[in-house]
Amino acid sequence: MSEFSVVGRRLPKVNSWAHLTGTAKYADDIALPRMLYARLLRSPHAHARVRSIDTSAAERHPGVVAVVTGRDMPEKMGIMPSTQDETALAVDRVRYVGEAVAGIAATSEDAAFEALSLIRVDYEPLEPILTIEEALEREDVKIHDEAARANVFKEVHLSFGDLDAGFASADHLRDDWYFFEGNTHAAIESHSAVASYDGDGKLTLWTSTQVPHYLHRELEKVLGIPRTRIRVIATPNGGAFGGKSDPFAHEFAASLLSMRTKRPVKLTLDREEVFYAHRGRHPVKMRLRAGVKKDGEFTAAHLQTWLDGGAYASYGIATTYYTGALLTVTYRIPAYKFDGVRVYTNKPPCGPKRGHGTTQPRWAFECTVDKIASDLGLDPLEYRRYILQPPNSRTVNGLRITTMGLGECLDAVGRATGFSRTHRKLARGKGIGIAGSAYISGAGLPIYWNAMPHSGAVVKIDRGGGVTVYCGTSEIGQGSDQMLATVTAEALGVLPEDVHVVSGDTSLAPVDLGSYSSRVTFMAGNATMEAACKLRDQLLSVAAEALAVPVERMTAALRRVYDSAEPAKGMSFVEAANLAEARYGTLSAAGSYTPPKGIGGDYKGAGVGPTPAYSYQAAVAEVTVDLDTGVLTVDRVVTAHDCGRALSPVNVEGQIEGSAYMGYGEISGEEQVFRGGLHKKPSLLEYKIPTSLDTPKLEAIIVETVDAEGPFGGKEAGEGPLNPVIPAIANAVFDAIGVRFDETPITADKVLDALGKRDNRGVPKDRIGPSGLAEPKRDPGGAKRRLGFSTEAREQRISRVTGVETATGATGPGPEPGEPGSGSR
Amino acid sequence: MAVHVARDVDDATRAVAVDERAELIAGGTDLMVEINFGRRRPGALVAIDRVQELRGISRSGRVRVGAGVTYTQLLADDAGSAALREASRSVGSPQIRNAGTIGGNIATSSPAGDALPVLAALEATIVVRSVRGERRVPFAEWMTGPKRNGRARDEIIVAAEWESAGPKQTFMKVGTRNAMVIAVASLALVVDASRRRVGVALGSCGPTILRADRAQSFAAGVLDELGWERQAAPTETACAEFGALVASAARPIDDVRGTAAYRSHVLSVMAARALARVAVLG
Repeated sequence: MSEFSVVGRRLPKVNSWAHLTGTAKYADDIALPRMLYARLLRSPHAHARVRSIDTSAAERHPGVVAVVTGRDMPEKMGIMPSTQDETALAVDRVRYVGEAVAGIAATSEDAAFEALSLIRVDYEPLEPILTIEEALEREDVKIHDEAARANVFKEVHLSFGDLDAGFASADHLRDDWYFFEGNTHAAIESHSAVASYDGDGKLTLWTSTQVPHYLHRELEKVLGIPRTRIRVIATPNGGAFGGKSDPFAHEFAASLLSMRTKRPVKLTLDREEVFYAHRGRHPVKMRLRAGVKKDGEFTAAHLQTWLDGGAYASYGIATTYYTGALLTVTYRIPAYKFDGVRVYTNKPPCGPKRGHGTTQPRWAFECTVDKIASDLGLDPLEYRRYILQPPNSRTVNGLRITTMGLGECLDAVGRATGFSRTHRKLARGKGIGIAGSAYISGAGLPIYWNAMPHSGAVVKIDRGGGVTVYCGTSEIGQGSDQMLATVTAEALGVLPEDVHVVSGDTSLAPVDLGSYSSRVTFMAGNATMEAACKLRDQLLSVAAEALAVPVERMTAALRRVYDSAEPAKGMSFVEAANLAEARYGTLSAAGSYTPPKGIGGDYKGAGVGPTPAYSYQAAVAEVTVDLDTGVLTVDRVVTAHDCGRALSPVNVEGQIEGSAYMGYGEISGEEQVFRGGLHKKPSLLEYKIPTSLDTPKLEAIIVETVDAEGPFGGKEAGEGPLNPVIPAIANAVFDAIGVRFDETPITADKVLDALGKRDNRGVPKDRIGPSGLAEPKRDPGGAKRRLGFSTEAREQRISRVTGVETATGATGPGPEPGEPGSGSR
Repeated sequence: MAVHVARDVDDATRAVAVDERAELIAGGTDLMVEINFGRRRPGALVAIDRVQELRGISRSGRVRVGAGVTYTQLLADDAGSAALREASRSVGSPQIRNAGTIGGNIATSSPAGDALPVLAALEATIVVRSVRGERRVPFAEWMTGPKRNGRARDEIIVAAEWESAGPKQTFMKVGTRNAMVIAVASLALVVDASRRRVGVALGSCGPTILRADRAQSFAAGVLDELGWERQAAPTETACAEFGALVASAARPIDDVRGTAAYRSHVLSVMAARALARVAVLG
């Protein structure tokens, strides 16, 4: 029998009833008396100076109550305090198609939308920068004047161990270029916020956000009212995946419009706008050099990354470091050099998406490992097992490793699929591939420098035995409320259904830094456990006295407090709680969590990478490649994940399967593509996330290593499981057709190209991918022409339809929207 | 916006005749997207989704499918056309198939309309009616360009009709995923054994639904040798030749969904597979 009464049991999520019956209240479900509806005007230019904005005609439009522009909120803001380069609405420059320029609140959403076309914006178009290569070179066009070199946002160089000696002692060298295409989160709920500024000068903002605390800080800065008068409530997020972890234009615009009108204001983005809000996966070009001995043991590795950051910083400084930091935590690497460059381009800003900055290099690295195994004639699974970084060790870049379950994960997926028996033995067109990976259980440092805890929780017990846990975490569908209830229930000896969870509210709950970097289980879990255990001690102590049992023999489980040596001897949880309240007063306790010191290096840049515990995972993918049509079918993905201990196994499995689904989507077809800076497919019809008919058979295996520092031994489960899936599929495609795909996504068109079958006259290739940085295209003004053409065509169409002669870029910037369903009228 | 809910076809034809701004709406799966994107602002709507006369399928003599028949209905009763069932299965999602109608596909006349290659390969006739009377237009003359056709503003599509063609027929579609997808290329192949006729039509490979005449003649020659009624597979060479002829009939372009080269290639593959599949059906 388990030593636990709640942890590890297959219980339903505490909020599943609301989610399954459609009664969960998302931000857009909120309706307040006298509420106004707001819409944002967005830039039709990829890069332009804003000469002037005339809102007078819009203000006169029937139904319009207030209009705000960038000049009303000129304060710089951004998620990372050191790189704040955004304003809530564009002030004098727009830097991507879709950047918010003005906001309108009206009595109906239609009125607000119509009035957008009446705002006159005088733009002076500038040449846009659209590729990494152009951004690196073009000194003459600066997207941000502050950039020291061309359009470089951040450049980092780190070196550990003796790289030259490492490469010199290698028996075998590899030097590979990779390109990982950008993609977006595609959360089902679009961003939404409702702001209500009351007569007493207090602002409440309900918003679909992962980071209520950071948003709270930025609202104070931008709106110019003290934080004491602002309350942020993170509503349940209908999926987020990193896409709701920046402060956004619509949140500030709704707030300011509410302050101006003294009425509640709702602003919900439509799907097209979500593609512009973005902050998704960076496109990353990579060069990876590796040196190994005859047996495959690494002697050195050198990784160079070039990140296409889009128009603003977002988390970019962290993303840049993350492309290099975690490469060392899976396999032994004695010498390692990392050079990272993130550039600005005139596209929607990139930011964190599930696996933040580690997904792209992990894919590249695991493809290189597979190539080395192939070069040396080694079994890819056995090879990985042979070079594992040991548990309780330090990496060459100073990262502390504690529990390390990658070996068990590799074994588990190998057993489940018969990998080593099957690999390289399947018929042409069928393939099997494997990969390993790792992720963090929360970043070791907060986003703004401070010495306070990363997470705080308060637990309170009422006289009827009800328990409430208060914690600033944001429930984004990942199960953080479930985790809080599970940890509280286990510690106090009640059931999760007895626990009320109050989360994501900056007024009611102590600060938690937010639902990003897979930090919640480890950090909020530990804070909650500390709080709950304080109350548990009080209950056990009064019960021990009443029952005349030594307190160390007392325990609590399943709503009873009892003698573990003689379980019949005990009392109900309610009785114990009432005794404790009589003795100690109100039953309430706080707990907090701060990651330990000394878990990373002490060099500049050492702040990104350390975590209290790494999670590990491995995946095997089985694929079929249609040799005639080039269509890649992924038949099965088996993922094993070391989450320390599964507090809620059903939820962990859900995260593993969801991650595999998302990884499959990223390699099979999702891509952010632009024409002259204009997003080519800002709709879920054309941006192809997989449907249930595409999704492979997914299998999840939980591996438990019981981390000594985690809550009940738990580590993260939300992001890591995505990372091995992408390289496992790429490696399986190589097994199937002998072609290395060193770029994503793997589309049918590219497969046919590789097979030499496109046009029926090609020559077969053994790899598809970049072979260096490209020569920047010498076509000054070309992008502007292409964009101008699309924009003009759209505006002509709009004026034809509406009869309204639009100002330049008067309505949404959207390109030709996706054709409607091929169904009917 | 005024909405007139039509009781029957006569009511609908009168309603569109008297109001020049009126547009027709049945399932709304195309029109509502256009309205929501601000690309169309009809002055008035005439809803024909409740008109019973448009919702029937009959097989007395020629097959007749009412314009208001949904794809979900066609999955249950394919009016004797397996290819139409296969095409209906590939439309959108269950929700879209519940609302979308075959008449809407005919009215929108997108080169990517899933049912259209089947109607072309069946050599269907489109029946339209207005207060001025009824017209019958062969499908080959129906589409005049991408999303353009011979329907007058006041005409209502009432049905599509064709001669039953037997079991040897199929529809194939390549998209960038397996559901909720607009065809990158599609193909319908109908072998009408009793009339010794082969129909091949291509979707998403040109401005209208295209026919592949040389491929049709070639396949007819192959079937003359094999025996039209038999369930015998043509040689791989014959299938490949057929595929190449089909691909040569396409006029594809590069767009956001795929390249012209890819479209041509997959057409040849689909056509070869379609011929091999259809020949053994009986």
